[in-house]
Amino acid sequence: MAEKVRGKGVISGIAMGKIMLAGQNLDGYLVNYKPEAKETEKQKAQAAITAVAENLRESIEQMKKDDMAEQAAILEAHRMMIQDPMMAQNIETKVEELGNAPRAVLKAAEEQAQMFEQMEDDYFAARAVDLRDVGKRVAKYILGVKEPEIGNEKVVLCGHEIEPSVIAGMPTDKIAGVLLGAGSTTCHAVIIAKSRAIPTIVGLDKENRIDKIADGDRVIIDGERGEVTINPDEEEVAAYEAKFKKQQELAAHYAALRDLPGETTDGVRVDLMANIGTHMDVENALNYGAEGVGLFRSEFVFMGREDIPTEEDQFKAYKQAVEKCAGKLCVIRTMDIGGDKPLPYLNIPHEDNPFLGYRAVRISLQRRDLFLPQLKAILRAGVYGKAAIMIPMIINVAEFKKVKEFVEEAKVELAHEGKAYADNVQVGIMVETPAAAIMTPVFAKYVDFFSIGTNDLCQYTLAVDRGNANISYLYNHFNPAVLRLIKRTVESARENGIWAGMCGEMASDPHAAVLLMAMGMNELSMSAPSIPRVKEQLRSISSVKAKEILTKVMQMEDGDEIKAYLDQVL
Amino acid sequence: MTQATVTIENKTGIHARPASVFVQTASKFKSKVQIQAKGKTVDAKSILMIMSMGLVKGTEMTISADGPDEAEAVKALQDLVASKFGEE
Repeated sequence: MAEKVRGKGVISGIAMGKIMLAGQNLDGYLVNYKPEAKETEKQKAQAAITAVAENLRESIEQMKKDDMAEQAAILEAHRMMIQDPMMAQNIETKVEELGNAPRAVLKAAEEQAQMFEQMEDDYFAARAVDLRDVGKRVAKYILGVKEPEIGNEKVVLCGHEIEPSVIAGMPTDKIAGVLLGAGSTTCHAVIIAKSRAIPTIVGLDKENRIDKIADGDRVIIDGERGEVTINPDEEEVAAYEAKFKKQQELAAHYAALRDLPGETTDGVRVDLMANIGTHMDVENALNYGAEGVGLFRSEFVFMGREDIPTEEDQFKAYKQAVEKCAGKLCVIRTMDIGGDKPLPYLNIPHEDNPFLGYRAVRISLQRRDLFLPQLKAILRAGVYGKAAIMIPMIINVAEFKKVKEFVEEAKVELAHEGKAYADNVQVGIMVETPAAAIMTPVFAKYVDFFSIGTNDLCQYTLAVDRGNANISYLYNHFNPAVLRLIKRTVESARENGIWAGMCGEMASDPHAAVLLMAMGMNELSMSAPSIPRVKEQLRSISSVKAKEILTKVMQMEDGDEIKAYLDQVL
Repeated sequence: MTQATVTIENKTGIHARPASVFVQTASKFKSKVQIQAKGKTVDAKSILMIMSMGLVKGTEMTISADGPDEAEAVKALQDLVASKFGEE
C-alpha cells in the first residue's frame, strides 16, 4: 500500500496526475553540486543567464500571440532583471567570493531583493519576489533542475501557496488537481480551481505532510475525502480507475441535463449562470450548461501586476469573455479589492479592518484613473455580445448616482475618441451589505438589476467571520435575518420591474435554490460544477410546492431549524 | 560626450513601466549611457540601478552618453522623459 496523506478537501472529484511543485526547494541540489574552477563557474553563470533570458523571450512571444499581454509584461520585467548589467556584475563578484555559480546567483538576487524590500514601498517589495524568482530560475538551470514541463500527462500542482496567476495561466485540461499547504478555502487559487472544477485539497502544511510529496510523484487525489495517495500501487490504481469511471458516469448524467432549462415541473424558470475569474473559464461553464455569466470577477485583471491595467488590456479580457458567452448575458463586476489584498498601485494605507474599509466601489469612486478605463473597457466589450456592469459594496443611493455619472462620462469619452461601444449595457448593484438590502425599494428606481452576494451579506448581517473556527457555527445562509433581506430584495425588484439574481455561494445550495425560486428570483449564478445539481433539484419540484415550503420557512425562527426542515422535505 | 538635463514630469516618476521603457530605449544605443541625479551616477541600461534611484516626479536628472551614437541616444531619452512616458 502506498503512503497516504490527508488534508482538507475543498473541491470534490477524484483525479490522478504527476506532481508539479509550484515552489521548489533547491537545498538538496545545492549540497550535491560540485563547483569547478572560478573562471568556469563564471562562464556557467553567464551561459545560464543567456539561456534563461532566451527561454523567457520565447515565452513572452508566445504569450503576446495568445493575447496574454499582462503575463507577458511580468516575464519581460524578469528578463530585464536577469540581463541587468548590475546584476551581472554582482553575480561575478559573488562567484569570485564563493566559487560556486548557483549559490552566487541566488545570493546576488537575494541581496538585491533585500535592498528593494528595505525601500518600504509596495512596488519594490513586489519586485523582491520577482528577483528571487528569477535568481532561482537561473540557479536551477545551472543545477540542471528541469523546469517543470507540461507534457501529455496531467499535472497536480502542489505548493505551500500557489499564485492565482499560475493556475489562471495554465490550460484547464492540463491540471488534474491542486494541493495547497496553506489552509485557506477562500484564497484566490481555490476560487479559480473551483470555477474550473479542479479537485483541490488544502491544509497539507499541518505536521509538514506536504513534504512527503515530491516533484514528479504520481498521485491519486480525492477531493471529497481530502486524501492524497502517493505513488499508488497497481491495486490502488485499479480502484481509482473504477471510481473515476463512476465519476464519469455521473458527469454523463449531468451532461444529459446540460441543455435542459432550470425549470420547475410547472414551468417556472430560473436562469442558471456561472461565476468566473477569467475568460478561460467560460468554455468550462458552458459545458456545465451555464446560461451565461452572472459574475465575472474582474480582480484577476488587476492582480499580479504593478500598474493599473490599461483600458486596452481590460477591453481584451472582457471582450473575450463576452464573445465566448455568445449572446448570453455576461455580468462584469467592477474592481472588488481592498486592504486585505493591497495592490502596489492602489496605495491603500494599513487598515485595522479592511472589510469595513477603503475597498471596491469606495476606491473606484475616488480613483477616476482606475474606474473610467474599466467602465470604458466594459462598454466597448458590450459591442461583442451582451455585457452588464455590476457595482460591488454599495451602501447608499448617492454612490450609485455617482457611478451613473461616471458611466455617462465614459460614454462621452468613447464617443469623442471614436471608439465603438454598446449603449444598452445594464448597470446594476451587488446587494451585499444590509444597508443596500434594506434600501432596495429605493435602489430599484435607479438600477437595472440586483445581484445578491451572500458571502458578504451573511458576514455583514450576522457579524460573523466564517473563517473564525470559534464562531463559524453562527454562519448560516438560512438565518431568518438573511432570508428576510433576500426576500425583500427580490420583492423590491419585482415591484419595480427589474431582475434580481444571486451570485454568492448560497446559490449553489440546491435547497436554497428552491426557496429563492419560490421568492421569485430570476437568476442564480454559481461555480459551474454546481449547476447540474441545482438544476436537478429545481426540475424535480413544482413552484406551488416550493411556495408552500417557503411560507413555512419564513415563519420559522431559527436558521438551524430551517436547514433541518429543508433536509427533511426536499 | 553629449549631455542634457531634464525634469521628470509624469505622475508616477521613473517607477514601474517607465523604468523598463527607459532602459529598453537606452539599450538600443551602442554608446555608454548614464544618468546622474541626487548626487549619484548610474548606468542607464540597468533597470535595477535606475529603479533603486527613486526618481519621483519633479526630480532633475542629467542624461549623458559617450560613444558613436551619443547624440541620438541623449535625444531619444530626452524625448521619452518629455513625453511623460505616455502617461499623465
